[in-house]
Amino acid sequence: MEAKHIEMHGVRKTYRFFTLDDLSLELAPGEVMGFVGPNGAGKSTTLRLAMGLVTPDAGEIRVLGQPMPAASASAKREVGYVSAEMLLLPNATLGWHMDFVKAIYPSWDDAYAMTLVKRFNLRREQNARSLSLGERIKAVLLLTLARRPRLLILDEPTTGLDPVARHEVISEFMDVLQDDSRSVLFSSHNTVDVERISDRITFIDRGRVVESSNKEDFLDRWRRIQLQLPEGAALPALPNIVSRNVDGRFVTLVTDRFSEGFAALLGPNVREVQRMNLEEIFVANVMRHREVRGS
Amino acid sequence: MYSGINISQTDARPMYLQIMEQIRARVAAGDWEPGKELPSIRALAAALNVSVITIKRAYLDLESEGVIVTRHGKGSFVANVNGLAGELQEARVDEHLDQAAQLGRQLGLTEEDLAARLRRAYRNVDKK
Amino acid sequence: MNIVTRKLIAKELHVNRLLVGGGVMSGVASVVLAALGQLGFSIGSLIWLSTIIAMGVILALYGIMNERKEHSLEFIMSLPLSVSDYVRAKMLGLALCFFIAWSISVAGALVLVFAKDSVPDGIAPYVVLLGVFMLANFCVVLCGTMFARNEGTTTLIVIVTNMGVTIFMFIVAPMKGIHDFMWGPVPVWNSAFWAVLGCELAVMVIAFCLPIFLVARRRDFL
Repeated sequence: MEAKHIEMHGVRKTYRFFTLDDLSLELAPGEVMGFVGPNGAGKSTTLRLAMGLVTPDAGEIRVLGQPMPAASASAKREVGYVSAEMLLLPNATLGWHMDFVKAIYPSWDDAYAMTLVKRFNLRREQNARSLSLGERIKAVLLLTLARRPRLLILDEPTTGLDPVARHEVISEFMDVLQDDSRSVLFSSHNTVDVERISDRITFIDRGRVVESSNKEDFLDRWRRIQLQLPEGAALPALPNIVSRNVDGRFVTLVTDRFSEGFAALLGPNVREVQRMNLEEIFVANVMRHREVRGS
Repeated sequence: MYSGINISQTDARPMYLQIMEQIRARVAAGDWEPGKELPSIRALAAALNVSVITIKRAYLDLESEGVIVTRHGKGSFVANVNGLAGELQEARVDEHLDQAAQLGRQLGLTEEDLAARLRRAYRNVDKK
Repeated sequence: MNIVTRKLIAKELHVNRLLVGGGVMSGVASVVLAALGQLGFSIGSLIWLSTIIAMGVILALYGIMNERKEHSLEFIMSLPLSVSDYVRAKMLGLALCFFIAWSISVAGALVLVFAKDSVPDGIAPYVVLLGVFMLANFCVVLCGTMFARNEGTTTLIVIVTNMGVTIFMFIVAPMKGIHDFMWGPVPVWNSAFWAVLGCELAVMVIAFCLPIFLVARRRDFL
């Protein structure tokens, strides 16, 4: 069995106004993990820790089996990192960057690189300075994808992209997954995309992992239930209620442990049982997490 | 081959069910004949921009329904069962009838009421 | 030296090509100007000094701080290299850029000293010492900028080291071993000269190597 691509256990990183605490995360080969959290939750920090760009104050990090940040130089040979804030080197063209990266990585695929240039609607002669946000992200992605890294770590890769560009970019990630020895970890605000392409999803809030699970499992377990109670009736006693909203005789419940058994407990007053999309699950999960932590 | 399969995220039904339905429809229509090889899970995932886990689930459920057969190491194939297309068509009718029956019960219709309505609907098909 | 370090040094040269080219042209022009009479010499030497100093400042500020500020550091650090590799490549790359403009300017100045009769050959050692001082100065600026966490510190470093040039001229020019022979017809390479040169080279080597040892200890390079 092949080793995990990313393993983080009990990682802690303290900054002046923010602490990432007890962070544990695992990514298996062939998997896509979506990393979701509010702004400032610690997503970028986590991805930087995975890349060995930041040294943790506690805990263990292994990427492609190698300890980070100690072995970051060699691990990075097979890891591709793209962040929305990344800029290319000024005073140099995309073509120069392509030659630069090609000289450094033996796994560079020229034909694929040229295909991506066309597909992403870029030109080799474009100067790094003159690229728009969308073009910049696509350019960095191109430079990363063309060398076919085993692990892709992407920090908000679709933020700021128009729908067409987003579709192009996501298609390229998904192409990566045709090889089951490669994997992708990406953070995003776009819960629609995360819901669609992730195999696993990790929620993070205020420096802590709120929940990490298989996507289908999430979507199966969470439900919003609307009940209409008859006059004078009380709410049935139910376990695993994440939130409850009472409006006269209409009650809306959210549960994260829906099952056949649970459905049976609901009784005859159910008006509707709705599946929740990832955005709704995410908000409900984070709200609960914040209540529990008393913040 | 699978460019026509469309997954809509605004559809209330889960993605894996949509995939199953569309594959079933193709088998029922005879477009995907018995014994035909299905795209590999990863190839379909990449083509549809849908997670591998979702495709896996769809294939597993289709296999337990008997619509497809997975041979370890070789891939997945439309089940080589005679009359599969017909069976699937009939299964669709049953699905709709189940829904009608449930709704009817909720509204308090009797069995005779429901049957009468069904007969009327059947006759109306020719009129349209 | 691995391929990444080599390519990064080449990148430094490529990215700064206009600046270095400009420095070379300015240095050569100033030497030519200095060859044209008394006034030309005064103006020319001023431009010569300013060119070398300015090159140093711009290379250090632009080459290091800008990269950090402009998030292109993230792109570079995503490449398969360690922090030490980066620092080494940076120092070598920028030093090479500076060296190109510097060596041509200093060589030009020495050519002027030896070729032109109106300029006494005895001043050659002083020119060499001044030139090497500015090279050492540049290494100190590079070293400081590598450690600086904000623009305020870098500006301070630049100001202090530039004052150093003036101070150098005030201290070294009147030194017994130098002053006595500066205006003579023959260059004198005496112990005073070697002592000063030795100090300059020592400072240069230390300033150059220090970042490579110390920055690698840093936990958060970004």
